[in-house]
Amino acid sequence: MFVVLTMLLALTGPASVQEGMAPPSAPALSDGPVNTGRLGAMIREAAPGAVVLVPAGVYREHLRIDKPLTLIAEPGAVIDGGGSGDIVEIAAPDVTFRGFVVCHTGIDLDRENAAIRVLAPRATIEGNTLEDILFGIDLREAPDSVVRGNRVGGKVLDIARRGDGLRLWRADRTLVEGNTVHDGRDAVLWYSTGITVRGNRSVRCRYGLHLMYSDEVTIEDNVLTENSVGIYLMYSRGVMVRRNQLVRNRGPSGYGLGLKETDRFTVEHNLIHGNRVGVYLDGSPFTDAQPGVFTRNTIALNDVGITFLPAVRGNRLSANNFIDNIEQVSIAGRGELKGNQFWDGDVGNFWTDYVGYDKDRDGVGDFVHESRTLFENLMDREPKLRLLLFSPTQQAIEFVGRAMPAIRPEPKFVDEVPLMRPVAVEVGAGGAPSAVGLGAASAGILGVGVFVLSVGLSGRLAAGLRGKSGRGGGA
Amino acid sequence: MTTITAGLSSGMRLRVPTLSANVLSVALRELREAVRSRWFLLYTLGFAALGLGVSYASSASAGGAGLSGFGRTTAGLVNLVLLVVPLMALTAGAGTIASDRERGMLVYLLSQPVSRLEVLLGKYVGLGAALLACICLGLGSCAGILAWKGDATRPLSMVWLAGLSFGLALGMLSVGMLASVLARKASVAVGTAIFLWLALVFVSDLALMAGTMALKLRIEELLAMALVNPLQVFKMWSLHAIDSSLDVLGPAGLYAVDEYGGRLHLIFGACLMAWVVAPLALAAAVFSRRAPV
Repeated sequence: MFVVLTMLLALTGPASVQEGMAPPSAPALSDGPVNTGRLGAMIREAAPGAVVLVPAGVYREHLRIDKPLTLIAEPGAVIDGGGSGDIVEIAAPDVTFRGFVVCHTGIDLDRENAAIRVLAPRATIEGNTLEDILFGIDLREAPDSVVRGNRVGGKVLDIARRGDGLRLWRADRTLVEGNTVHDGRDAVLWYSTGITVRGNRSVRCRYGLHLMYSDEVTIEDNVLTENSVGIYLMYSRGVMVRRNQLVRNRGPSGYGLGLKETDRFTVEHNLIHGNRVGVYLDGSPFTDAQPGVFTRNTIALNDVGITFLPAVRGNRLSANNFIDNIEQVSIAGRGELKGNQFWDGDVGNFWTDYVGYDKDRDGVGDFVHESRTLFENLMDREPKLRLLLFSPTQQAIEFVGRAMPAIRPEPKFVDEVPLMRPVAVEVGAGGAPSAVGLGAASAGILGVGVFVLSVGLSGRLAAGLRGKSGRGGGA
Repeated sequence: MTTITAGLSSGMRLRVPTLSANVLSVALRELREAVRSRWFLLYTLGFAALGLGVSYASSASAGGAGLSGFGRTTAGLVNLVLLVVPLMALTAGAGTIASDRERGMLVYLLSQPVSRLEVLLGKYVGLGAALLACICLGLGSCAGILAWKGDATRPLSMVWLAGLSFGLALGMLSVGMLASVLARKASVAVGTAIFLWLALVFVSDLALMAGTMALKLRIEELLAMALVNPLQVFKMWSLHAIDSSLDVLGPAGLYAVDEYGGRLHLIFGACLMAWVVAPLALAAAVFSRRAPV
């Protein structure tokens, strides 16, 4: 499983770049006959521009919509592909497709069997529920479209055999809003300039959102949990990432947010929580045009808060909360972070591992926050050593590192104006802590202890069991 | 060999309700002595105080209310258990038989109508119960503090931590009793126990680190060597139970989960069980053969 996933991830990178140089311009057509059933007849008979209301019922057919139409499903209208091929193909511009249940595509990855494939501009795909499908909504050369409020559920297959829940390919200025994708492969948004991705949810996929060569993009208010990667931005310019929740994206390539050779980006007000690596920076920003801006994010309880590849420079991080990440900032391999700045003007970041104090009470620590721990340094060089995390040896090594300046590493980075209090972040936090459950656990554990203790003190098992009543009876 | 099998079968019988009355009475006597002794009070107070300190400090520092996960609280408690529980169990085990022998207590005990095996097992059960009380009082009060502070640590993770700490304590108690049976003097036994503690807590980890850096150990080798150390087993098991993954331990952790998946609980359990059973069986074999004084 691990090998397959790694291979797949390795393949998607370069292979897709190759492919990407010449995106497929000739659309793949559906297999077999289309528009043969009742719904097909309604499409054939409708005049271009007409509004077609589709009554409830199960339509077992494959459709091609080849003229501008508005298809609106009454509740209970189901289009069933019967487990073969694509199901709905939109080949004309200005089509609206709303409110259907579309289910059971084929499972042919080579032909990319999709529930809804759009091959023309200005489509509106809205409020549909897609179930048991290989690819969900696939927009190819379909600029100015709207994909809103759909639910896409993939087939329960091994990740290597799944399709993409959502895909944009040369679909400039498209709005992707309020969709939910679960158990798919990726949500792929490639070669699409000026798109807005807002308020979507992605659960248990591989890439929550994967952007490649997509410029001037806004990604906001999305919730991406339990994927392999939350958001991965590649080779894109001008990206705004704000108010997203990137939570528990784990596994070998588990990143909350990854940026590869991305330029001119701003990351703000995100909650990045419980991922293996919160933020992964590789060659971003790509040029010196503008610093990479990270501000007002909460980066909490990740195994690693931010990982920088050694050559990364030009990022400016300020007013972020770095809360109890096991390693707050890491450099993959040897290198330094001198090219990045951990403050902006007189505003630094909040670090839970800051050890200084604030005597003049101006909210800024009186000493710089610098990260120079020997064990982290060793771990960055040899990731296998992570196995020994949390053992007392780790503390011993840190102590030796502090006590003997000769072997103390250079500071990894310095925050000259660390904040004493966390910064308010717009996106909400997780659920409320369960004090009741914890209290019950405490009572239970204490109870066992007290029982054994009372047995020991009384010296008799029976007395311990019967407690006071036993003793009362004896008296 | 027969003694070992006998020891094992008695050990098995311990877990069923048909406890041998002799073992039970020795155990109760040992528990009573332990609970009323200074070491128990000291260790319990020390463990609870340190645990409360860790819990209080880590939940006070967390800026993000309501964020749960493998945070500094759990890490700190795991760390504390790794440091304190083995020391407690090793010295408790080491101090028992050798010091009884020195004080002439052992001769007295063995003059009673009990077998040597029953004495050994009784002492083991009694001390194990004392350690259970100590761990529960310590970690239970930690959980109480965390609940009071509104910390987002999951309740079940504290239960896991307490249970696994007890498992680790039983293993280390076995080793301590083996040292106690082998040593002629109590001071030697306790010294050996402390030396073993140092070796398990620091030396073996340092050796693993050096091996990884210098010899370029492969991941599976590193993992296998770590599994030999009961402390590492406890640590990996608690992380696995609390976080339901070992991502946090980097490549080696990912490898372990990927390679063994659901069997990891079994593997950890077997490793820890081996540390409980093997030294105890060996101790029983030696103790049954040796002259008491």
